[in-house]
Amino acid sequence: MENFNVDTLVIGGGIAGMQAALDLADQGFQTALVDHEPTIGGKMITLSKVFPTLDCCSCITTPKMSSVAHHPNIQLLTYCDLQSIQESDSGFRVAIVQKPRYVDAHKCTGCRKCEYECPILIPNPYDRGLGAYHAIRVPFSTAVPQTAVLDMDNCILCGKCEKVCPTQAVTFTQKPETFEVQTRTIVLASGFELTPLEAKKEYGGGLLHNVIDPLMMERFLAPTGPYGRVLRPGDGKEPTSIAYVQCAGSRDQSLGVEYCSRVCCMYAIKQAMLISGALPMAEITIYYMDIRTFGKGYEQFYQNAQAMGVEFIRGKVAAIHEDDQQNPVVKVELTEDGRVVERTHDLVVLSLGMVPSPGSAGILELPLGDDKFISVPAPNARPCHTTRPGIFVTGTAMGPMDIVDSIISASSAAAATSAYIRAHQNGQASPKPQEEAVYA
Amino acid sequence: MPEKKISNNETPSSEKVRVGVYTCHCGGNISHVVQCERVAKMLGKMPDVVIARTDPSFCSDSGQAVIEQDIKELGINRVVIGACAPSLHEQTFRNTVTRAGLNPYLYHHVGIREQDSWVHPNDPEGATDKAIRLMAAGLAKARLLTPLDPIRLKAEKHTLVIGGGVAGLRAALDIAHQGIRVTLVEKSPFLGGRMPQLESVFPTDEEARQLLNKLIQEVTAEESIKIITQAEVTGLSGYVGNYNISLTQHSRGVDGVTTEALMAACTQETPDEFNYNLTQRKVIYQPYPGCYPPTPAVDWEHYDGKPLQVNGKPFHLKDEPHNIELTVGAIVMATGFDPYEPRQGEYGYDQIPEVVTLPQLIRILSRIPKGEPLTWNGHAVRDLVLIHCVGSRELDGVNQPQADGQVNNYCSRVCCTASLHTAIDMRQRFPNLNIYELYQDIRTYGRGHEEIYRRAQNAMVRFVRYHGTELPEVLPAPAGDTHPVLVRVKDYLTRGKEIEMGVDMVVLAVGMMPRQIDDLVKMLKISRGTDRFLLEAHPKLRPVEMSVRGIVLAGTAQGPMNIQESLSAASAAAAKVAVLLGQGQVELPPFVARVDESKCNGTGACVEACREEGAIAMQTFKENGREIRRAVITPANCTGCGACVGACPNRAIDVQAWTLGQYEAMVDAITMEIPAILENVS
Repeated sequence: MENFNVDTLVIGGGIAGMQAALDLADQGFQTALVDHEPTIGGKMITLSKVFPTLDCCSCITTPKMSSVAHHPNIQLLTYCDLQSIQESDSGFRVAIVQKPRYVDAHKCTGCRKCEYECPILIPNPYDRGLGAYHAIRVPFSTAVPQTAVLDMDNCILCGKCEKVCPTQAVTFTQKPETFEVQTRTIVLASGFELTPLEAKKEYGGGLLHNVIDPLMMERFLAPTGPYGRVLRPGDGKEPTSIAYVQCAGSRDQSLGVEYCSRVCCMYAIKQAMLISGALPMAEITIYYMDIRTFGKGYEQFYQNAQAMGVEFIRGKVAAIHEDDQQNPVVKVELTEDGRVVERTHDLVVLSLGMVPSPGSAGILELPLGDDKFISVPAPNARPCHTTRPGIFVTGTAMGPMDIVDSIISASSAAAATSAYIRAHQNGQASPKPQEEAVYA
Repeated sequence: MPEKKISNNETPSSEKVRVGVYTCHCGGNISHVVQCERVAKMLGKMPDVVIARTDPSFCSDSGQAVIEQDIKELGINRVVIGACAPSLHEQTFRNTVTRAGLNPYLYHHVGIREQDSWVHPNDPEGATDKAIRLMAAGLAKARLLTPLDPIRLKAEKHTLVIGGGVAGLRAALDIAHQGIRVTLVEKSPFLGGRMPQLESVFPTDEEARQLLNKLIQEVTAEESIKIITQAEVTGLSGYVGNYNISLTQHSRGVDGVTTEALMAACTQETPDEFNYNLTQRKVIYQPYPGCYPPTPAVDWEHYDGKPLQVNGKPFHLKDEPHNIELTVGAIVMATGFDPYEPRQGEYGYDQIPEVVTLPQLIRILSRIPKGEPLTWNGHAVRDLVLIHCVGSRELDGVNQPQADGQVNNYCSRVCCTASLHTAIDMRQRFPNLNIYELYQDIRTYGRGHEEIYRRAQNAMVRFVRYHGTELPEVLPAPAGDTHPVLVRVKDYLTRGKEIEMGVDMVVLAVGMMPRQIDDLVKMLKISRGTDRFLLEAHPKLRPVEMSVRGIVLAGTAQGPMNIQESLSAASAAAAKVAVLLGQGQVELPPFVARVDESKCNGTGACVEACREEGAIAMQTFKENGREIRRAVITPANCTGCGACVGACPNRAIDVQAWTLGQYEAMVDAITMEIPAILENVS
């Protein structure tokens, strides 16, 4: 890979990164979008339908992925890690490592013949491990780019893929390749992870058979999911009683996650509605402390769920254990009448919260807030500016937010970034570095 | 007089029509109801169809690649796609067919999600039949499509921002930073909107007016931003890239004599809306020290018209409104919000003097000097109740509807954090004050907001949780009671126990309502949601754009937001304007009227029917030495409404890509007998 120059480097190809890249590229700025995964799409592409419109998620995400891929001003760098960043006269020099796909990306046509021949099946992370994919594969059917990638850790070097490939694209000897991008600005859109399912010992520490995380439920509900229906992972039975435990990974000092993750109330309600459609006989309960349906159209969404018969019970779940049928048993104080009860469900979804994605923040040497997300020193004046001039932050890298807020944040970061680039193009002095401020 | 050669522009193409028909599953949205495979099989049997396919989502990159490949390899020259509503992905697929080398208008989009699968979820058979008919109609139209070019017009690199609050200011600044000129128009005489009425803002505890003044300084320092205060939009015409705007600006009224002399001479007073009518101010006024512009202004709405006595002489204040005309490429709606105004008697408001709103409380607190106790209505405040969700999260059948018959069923999103933030401030300033927050759910969702909730709990603010179906009651206390007001509420933190509290002050945490902008909405032909806020084109695909191209949204005109969120939305709006106007030209769709000159005989009926200024006119030509009158379209001014099409007695006018011939073919297809074909297929 040759070194090259761009106006902006966007780190992260989730919905926020894609939107920021598109808004900048549409203004004519040369943009590079880098993602450590072999495809862009981020977390959003794995979702089923999205609140509050219940649009299918692919209908929003895949066209954006496609626009990114075809945009003449966007250079897409997938399966790449950041190695180092140095300030230079004209911005930043960023060293990037192209991880080996063991497939020649120029030759691969995405025909997937290698995938069909491959004898090895491994858990598919895009299905939260609920389904399997092959050691060599195109990550999923709508992946961008449609280029195969081989997982060397699980490959047995049988050579079948190499033989079947019509363009001789499989190369077992590929090595990591380092190249340099010279960029005026950086937009950090590194996203989030869920709080780990294992984190809360009181909730079974990830060991209970029928306690799952919300992204697993998304895969059950997604038409592209592994089973095409909702079932208990423990025994494959169709659940008739499903419970959501809210704030299972947020607003919890014992986990060190003291903030609200903003999206869990809405995704739980959304999933409850979708489950009611998929399993009309199922009883669905949501245990909550406060229902926070604050966005546009969200309160109405909550009221609709109540009208549909979803049961809302106020009480912070104290503990979950399993009975001899592997049914999760939830212990909770019903604060409305003060009783402490144990209620048995077939399936429990822990409404886990958001924690920052590890990675790029360290390389960029950006200070973090108490919540470990990227610090924004002046949220009420410049909501996308980091402490370093020329580096902007957007989406869930700066704290939990839903898709709508991420998209707005991304366009807003694009405006801040383009203003910065223009100011420097015109030979004006760079804006003064922001004063270091502690996040309140 | 120009010589006219009359030609028939319905030139049939010699090229053989080869149609590709694509039925999308829409990730199950369609295929869970409609049998897409059957639709494809049926359409595949129809004349001119070369290929009929299905895909889980044609809008994905891999789905689009299939269509591109068919165009290139199978020589497809008409494309019909059955999928979501055209508003979502018509443009996506236009780009797809363009990439494959086909004219983008040789593609027709059929909505079989919004118009079929979503509305007939329980009738898969019927929905499938309907999908077949809709697709067949699409096919019939596609056969008759002709290549078209979009209308390209020069766009003014100039934007009108309506509203000088924090969102409007931010949008103006960011747009100017993209090299686009801005005119910012503000209805009141001063910039800043609602923000200067706040004191310290969460979560950073910065001074609101200090933050705002920094922003105003940046805006006023920017040469490419023109600020027009005391002005309103009174006229609008044109289209994206070229909106002609009329503004009416009122006089500031204080020119000629020194302001100090006028201010001193002015004796008439009126309620001060800056302090939410808690205090009085003169009709010549500055809302607060340090406001921008610093020059005082006359409040024409309340001025009684009597001359002032300046230096012993009568001085007449006169408003001489004048018009300003400008042309802009885009419009930013930053018209902001008003706090919800409770009804008389709602929680005792406007009946019991101890009942105020949260915005009023913030003004009251700002007027109490440091170290002094909180007093209200002439007595010390020992116990204070804050009631959340007043004018928000209202329920039909519980809350009394407003004048338009609606209740505000949305959450106003800022009131929880604002209430707690104010409560903490009061507990610090008045350590002996007891504060009770009556809430339904505490919604401290934002970054650093949960910390504010925790600080309020640690500061011994007490919480009482009520149900939206059992609202608290606020009553005057019986004579001789220790407190002037009695609050009765069922508390669900103590198992629904009914509690009564004697309090000295009741504060209503009122929600947000959109500003009254009916005239603007009508003039701009823009939409509002059921919550009456301005409606975005799509919450995820176009979250700050309106469905009218060239009009974007910034801040609380769109819905409740805090300052940080308003800033983000404003910057996002600026990014959209930069993309739209950056190239200096805009493309308009070619769906405009076209005259078939061989059929036009100059009746002029179309001109009479036309509702758009300058879209169609009669011109006189010379033909073979004879004078003839023919209708001539100015495409840029035509909206493609079709009024002229219906008026023409000779069928000489059509809207391009939506011709009468195409409609007839569609109707024939929709009403066709299909059992015969069905037999062949299944």
